[in-house]
Amino acid sequence: MKKNRGKILIFLLFTGLSLYFLYPTYKDYSFTKELRSLVGDDSLKYVEQNEEAMRVARLKRVKLGLDLQGGMRVVLEVNVLKYLEDIAKNKDEQFMNVINEVRAESQTSEEEVVDLLGRKLQQKQLRAARYYGSIRDEDDVIIQKLRDETVSAVDRAIEIVRNRIDQYGVSEPSIQKQGGRRIIVELPGVSKEGEVRQLLQGTALLEFKILYDPEIMSKVYQAIDASLAGKPIDDSLNVNKTDTSTTAAANDTTAKPVDTTSTVAQTDTNKPADTSLATLDDQAEKTPEELKKEHPFFAIANPMQQPNQGWSGQLFTIEEDKGKVNRILEKPEIKQLIPSGVSFAWSAKKSFTAEGKNFFALYAVKKEAELTGGVITEARATIDPNFNTPIVTMEMNTEGAREWARITGSNINKQIAIILDNAIFSAPVVRGKITGGNSQIEGMESVEEAKLLEIVLKAGALPAPVDIIQQTSVGPSLGEDSIKQGIYSSLMALLLTIVFMIFYYRMGGTVADVVLFLNMLFMLAILAGFQGTLTLPGIAGIILTMAVAVDANVLIYERIREESATGKTLSAAVDTGYEKAFTAIFDSNLTTFITGVILYQFGSGPVQGFALTLMIGIVISMFTAIVGTRIIFSIMLERGKVINFG
Amino acid sequence: MRFFKETHIDFMGKRRTWYMISLAVIMVGMISLAIKGIGFGIDFLGGTELIVQFSAEPDVSQIRSMMDNAGYRNVEIKTYGDPLRILLRTESQGEGTTVADQIKATLQQTFPNMNPTVLEETKIGPKIGAELRKDAFYAIIFSLLAIMIYVGFRFKFIYGIGAVAALFHDVLVTLGVISIIDGITPFTNFEIDQNMIAALLTLVGLSVNDTVVIFDRIRENQKIYKTLSLTEVMNKSLNQTLSRTLITSGTIFIVTVILFLFGGEVNRGFGFALTFGIITGTYSSIYIASAVVLDYSNWRLAKKAKPVMKGKTVYEPIAQ
Repeated sequence: MKKNRGKILIFLLFTGLSLYFLYPTYKDYSFTKELRSLVGDDSLKYVEQNEEAMRVARLKRVKLGLDLQGGMRVVLEVNVLKYLEDIAKNKDEQFMNVINEVRAESQTSEEEVVDLLGRKLQQKQLRAARYYGSIRDEDDVIIQKLRDETVSAVDRAIEIVRNRIDQYGVSEPSIQKQGGRRIIVELPGVSKEGEVRQLLQGTALLEFKILYDPEIMSKVYQAIDASLAGKPIDDSLNVNKTDTSTTAAANDTTAKPVDTTSTVAQTDTNKPADTSLATLDDQAEKTPEELKKEHPFFAIANPMQQPNQGWSGQLFTIEEDKGKVNRILEKPEIKQLIPSGVSFAWSAKKSFTAEGKNFFALYAVKKEAELTGGVITEARATIDPNFNTPIVTMEMNTEGAREWARITGSNINKQIAIILDNAIFSAPVVRGKITGGNSQIEGMESVEEAKLLEIVLKAGALPAPVDIIQQTSVGPSLGEDSIKQGIYSSLMALLLTIVFMIFYYRMGGTVADVVLFLNMLFMLAILAGFQGTLTLPGIAGIILTMAVAVDANVLIYERIREESATGKTLSAAVDTGYEKAFTAIFDSNLTTFITGVILYQFGSGPVQGFALTLMIGIVISMFTAIVGTRIIFSIMLERGKVINFG
Repeated sequence: MRFFKETHIDFMGKRRTWYMISLAVIMVGMISLAIKGIGFGIDFLGGTELIVQFSAEPDVSQIRSMMDNAGYRNVEIKTYGDPLRILLRTESQGEGTTVADQIKATLQQTFPNMNPTVLEETKIGPKIGAELRKDAFYAIIFSLLAIMIYVGFRFKFIYGIGAVAALFHDVLVTLGVISIIDGITPFTNFEIDQNMIAALLTLVGLSVNDTVVIFDRIRENQKIYKTLSLTEVMNKSLNQTLSRTLITSGTIFIVTVILFLFGGEVNRGFGFALTFGIITGTYSSIYIASAVVLDYSNWRLAKKAKPVMKGKTVYEPIAQ
């Protein structure tokens, strides 16, 4: 017992850890089971009561692959060639010929598209400078620039896809970059293929929209709140008739001209509005339940008015309630209260975090966009040398610059939101009229935020086309069938193996079986702990691992039997058995492990799941089958028990 | 409890016969592969594949004529595990996933009363198909190479060659048998897809596992019985490990048969390849891997023992 104390402790520790890691999976399972037994309102109530616990359990459980839970897997490829074609100038016939040749060759070639293009241009003795960059640039400089361009085009495409999926609201989406220009998107539980495809492939839409007048919106929101609480609505708040104040401002061209590189400051603390949300003033004295009853809308969409400060028109909502707010705004009786020129958009990223909750901002903007992203010619995130703060500079073409001057001129001190695919990334305040098209956006909290804004601004200007090159969607019913079959066959295999081991190796077999259970427990825990994904081939991997684990014990036991046959004592036979079987077990498992590594490297999706479980299984089974059984035997031997190996 | 008492089988004595048998099996398999072949799965072929559930058993010929009328190229239609489930596959790809959408619409029109619902939909572009084929090829080559290097390094180089020869044998025999069995019953529709490649690689792993255990025993016995010839050492080692070999193969066999029978449609081809692979893997560890090593060593010995003496006539004693 003493000499094994360390090892026993390690085993107990691992078992404890495994149970800890697997507990959320068990919780998730029991929540789902409970939910299924409930119907209608009961199930809604149950969800409401256990929302937080369910979310946590779901986050930490063993993840199921798409083949088991249903969903979509899409592989997108950024069409670099199309992009290079789009950004070229002076496209003549010669150039198009080169593009077509590159297209044909890129089907089979391993070479990067940019390099291919560079080589082809050189072969035809065409200068890259004729189509890209300026005439003085060296060709390799241009090609290098194009290479950088394509890399950032791919990043942009990923950001667009990510943004849209976030807006679409899929739980646990996975978006990965594979190689230079592929994006793998996995959307569990999604079955509306048409919508998703639209979502992934449509061109990005970047818009500039003016925020709706906060004074009006304050009344609108109060009306919505009152309506939900069942209170009568003040007739003077019938806002559909008050939609005039802003059109007057739009024609105001008297604003004094400013420098061409004017600044647009991004601050959310702006001009004081004298319309306060009076109804919320007394909220401090009420319990959350009372508040919820009296102000059902503001309870989940909080105006968060700062003392002594104006309200800029945003409502803040925790992530989980976004859907609820959307549903309220969609209700026909609520829609009547909203001016026809208003549309709503959420902030793309969380605005802030408080008490562990992520708050998103809801903006009311004018339905009509002032300008779309097509006019932007350049956007760059840099550091303002004067203040050492991150800024984003933005340039527009002549046409855009003219419009921009008019828009900024007539909306001084108002906020103009930058909206990509209906998600607001920023809503800077206009400081003054901007002529000449060069603007600067300040007030970002970090360089990352500035970088993101640069990507967003460019996304509207230079869309990088993406192609769907692979798509798999599995319906949930097929997934359920697969789980059933997978579990059914695993249990059957496990049972038969266990029975055989006891039957053939008696006590030794029983000990091996106990350890086999630990082996499975550790494997599942590792999957849960490292956020691995269980796929159907993965289940096959687990089943095979059992066979491998049993093999290690078979090797040892056969050896012990041989040693006993030569007349050794039990204890000596066990010792030599373990010792002599070790090299065989080690070498043979290592070769299997090598094939696992190679399979993981070359396989994709489900096959990787198989390779992963196989590799984990081999490592664990070496540990449990050799060390685990040994500990049990030495304890039994110390206590003078007789162990028979059949 | 013990299935095998101490055995004294002369494994190595009959190795020539088994070479011939193996060769014959491989030849038959190769002929079947050449004539009948095994279809590639959707992931290697590229194209569009739908698995559709009907509420009543559909008429396959009606589906076929429907697809023909809609003008799809090279359509494959078969049941998928259950007569109510039909797998439709076409090489047509179209832009994005338009092909799948069109097929779905046509199905709804043709079978409005049978409620066709799509369970799974896959579209693989031609480039991906080609890439996956290449990856699969490299995966197999690399694992064989890696195994050869590892075994050669842990034992002797010729042992690595022997192990890899056995693995080649296993992969060829298994592919041949799959090709022969393929399509004979509705239960055994196989195709070469990623799962099948995974099965072949696993089989490679398990087979070499077996081989290494035997090699390990040979190495050990060579140190103990220094006076015995390699043939005798090998026979001794094979007999000593026979019990373990058969018990292990037996348990793995049980597991893979269960996978094949009950593991679901996705795991069926996988299960079959492994089930069969375990049999050939066990056999090849003895009659290919060990036998190749033995024949090579004998050949080396013969070369050493008989130095050619130029310009000298000698009498040689005739072995009794």
